[in-house]
Amino acid sequence: MNRREFIAKSAATAALSAAAGERSLWAQSPADVRLEIAPLKLEIAPGKHVQTIAYNGQVPGPLIRWPEGKPIAIDVLNRTDVPEIVHWHGLWIPSDQDGAMEEGSAMIAPGSQHRYNFTPRPSGLRWYHTHTYAGHDLKRGLYSGQFGCFYIEPKDEPGAYDQEVFLTLHDWNAYMGAATDASMDASYDYSTINDRLLGSGAPVQVKQNQRVVFRIVNASATVMHWLALAGHQMTVIAMDGNPVPVPSKISALRLAPAERADVVVEMNQPGVWVFGETREDIRKSGMGIVIEYAGQQGEPKWIDPPEVLWDYRPFAHAEPVSSQPDQNVPLLFESKFHGHGDFDYWTINGKSFPKTETVMLQEGKRYRLAMRNKSTDDHPVHLHRHTFEVTSLDGKPLSGLRKDVIVVPANSTAAVDFVAANPGATLFHCHQQTHMDFGFMMLFRYS
Amino acid sequence: MLWLLRSWKAPGSLAFVAVLFCCCSAKAAYAQDNYEIQVYGSDTVAPKTTMLELHSNFTAEGTKPLPGSPFAVDRMYPTNHAEHETVEITQGINDWAEVGFYIFTSARDGQGWQWVGDHIRPRVRVPDSWHWPIGVSLSTEIGYQRRDFATDTWTWEIRPIVDKTFGRWYFAVNPALERSFHGQTVNQGIGFSPSAKFSYDFNKYISGGLEYYADYGSLHGFDSLHNQQQQFFPAVDLNVSPNWEINFGVGVGPTASTDHLIIKGIVGRRFDWTHHRAGGSESIQ
Repeated sequence: MNRREFIAKSAATAALSAAAGERSLWAQSPADVRLEIAPLKLEIAPGKHVQTIAYNGQVPGPLIRWPEGKPIAIDVLNRTDVPEIVHWHGLWIPSDQDGAMEEGSAMIAPGSQHRYNFTPRPSGLRWYHTHTYAGHDLKRGLYSGQFGCFYIEPKDEPGAYDQEVFLTLHDWNAYMGAATDASMDASYDYSTINDRLLGSGAPVQVKQNQRVVFRIVNASATVMHWLALAGHQMTVIAMDGNPVPVPSKISALRLAPAERADVVVEMNQPGVWVFGETREDIRKSGMGIVIEYAGQQGEPKWIDPPEVLWDYRPFAHAEPVSSQPDQNVPLLFESKFHGHGDFDYWTINGKSFPKTETVMLQEGKRYRLAMRNKSTDDHPVHLHRHTFEVTSLDGKPLSGLRKDVIVVPANSTAAVDFVAANPGATLFHCHQQTHMDFGFMMLFRYS
Repeated sequence: MLWLLRSWKAPGSLAFVAVLFCCCSAKAAYAQDNYEIQVYGSDTVAPKTTMLELHSNFTAEGTKPLPGSPFAVDRMYPTNHAEHETVEITQGINDWAEVGFYIFTSARDGQGWQWVGDHIRPRVRVPDSWHWPIGVSLSTEIGYQRRDFATDTWTWEIRPIVDKTFGRWYFAVNPALERSFHGQTVNQGIGFSPSAKFSYDFNKYISGGLEYYADYGSLHGFDSLHNQQQQFFPAVDLNVSPNWEINFGVGVGPTASTDHLIIKGIVGRRFDWTHHRAGGSESIQ
């Protein structure tokens, strides 16, 4: 049984229970937020469209901005012909509300509606997205436009900025080459920031000497993106919604699928600039947005940033963590070859989901995931419903960097600690759609 | 070249010289074609990347000198026990075009190591973004080979390439057309020289299959089977790294006009001038 079969079997049961629940739903009070999942012909440039599925007829879906700790009710209506589900990424919420079928959240049957009730926390930049299987269908799952930003306002928001801009990165019209090595990655026709190709949308208007915070989500199914704002430096103040212990200036930012970053830019170079992918081919495919200073005109200007090798370490403390884990959980990532004309299958400790082992957790204990990636792919791994602290990268210790997605590069190691503080089934997986669909998942459960 | 880059070795006995090579092989051969024995795939070399390949082909059983002459039929040097070393340099232009350049050489007892000729080969392909269900490419190759090694010195080839990967299976066909501009067959019009390949991925690193190479003669009228070139190569591809291409095989030519036994090998090294790890994400470009 693979992930598709697992979901198919579970979906039938869930759809029945969901349908029973819907009858009483209508009698409830109105939801705070309502999302409608439906097909959309999205115009990404004048006369240029992509056919996708989206929330409320827009990409990204509506920004959900909500105070930390205040309960929220979200109704989701599925107007597609396949079961859907919405995952609330990075939130500490119960398993049955988290929006992952594998944890026990209900699938939403075609034509039916489901209400999610939870109390959003922790504060910071979270996001929501579909959590369905795509497999070889490169129009479904995270290949589609089903994603949006979820900003949980801190109770003590410092607000040390003049303007706030939310940006989502996405790649469209995925395909595999007919004769190339399909066990590698998908390619895409277009890449956008929010819903527009570079130069096709409204520019971001800024003023000289403003401090602008960009809250950026990589909502791509499979692509790690590099971003730079020509002529400017960025100060990373948060990663995956969590303040970094050492805010640092960078000339280019790398975000893996599902990673987020909050960066502050001091607008001190008047002009019209491109904020876009550093790789020319992807920028030409559309990934970029124009930043326009007040009173400035002309063609947007791009300047290649200096060569950068990505490292999480400058944003963390160099000292090792002071707390020792109660238990180490060794995790070995490997691939299983299925031919150069098919996707690789993935294993954790030698097994593919749903046959991967289930690790039992005890509430209150601290666990260390000691990850070793023996494959030739980089893996942005994600732990649901918890935040972890990165404790080592390739054997070198660090501390204070709290995330829910971390890239474990090919042939390297990484360790993260988390405290089991949110009982319920907890999914751990690679956020590359092709990897999670083909076995790269496992569950933690609380004893 | 490692396992196939053998030092050239003299034939076992000059008594072979006395053996008359079958005169029936006096068909209109364009050249000793055993310099680059490869069925092309549709993929092209990436931009900012150079592919350097060495083709090493040893003819274990081929044409032999005529009695009292250093030449075989058609006043060409014999191929028997000849080592052909071809350097191929291919530069990626963009994501749908490349240009290849060949340096052909031959080494054989009595002739030493000789330059044979050069070809240039621009190639374009249907970009993946067109979403075609098969890989399609078009190669054109023009160049010169010395008269001692080819009946036709200036030739042109156009080679359509179609290929497809299904799971562990790979198929490719190259129905090539050739034209001579100077030499023995200049008046014979266009010749048909198809090649094809299928292979199976035994694992991520080793694929094995069969390659087929032929020269049917002029499109105005194919040669008799006896005079056609037909070669079958059981071949292995080693996919040890994205930066390396390794292929070797042993070819059997069952017709009289074909070299009967050839051992071939290809070693290719990809040089990515962006200096970034293939498939890696740690770098900015």
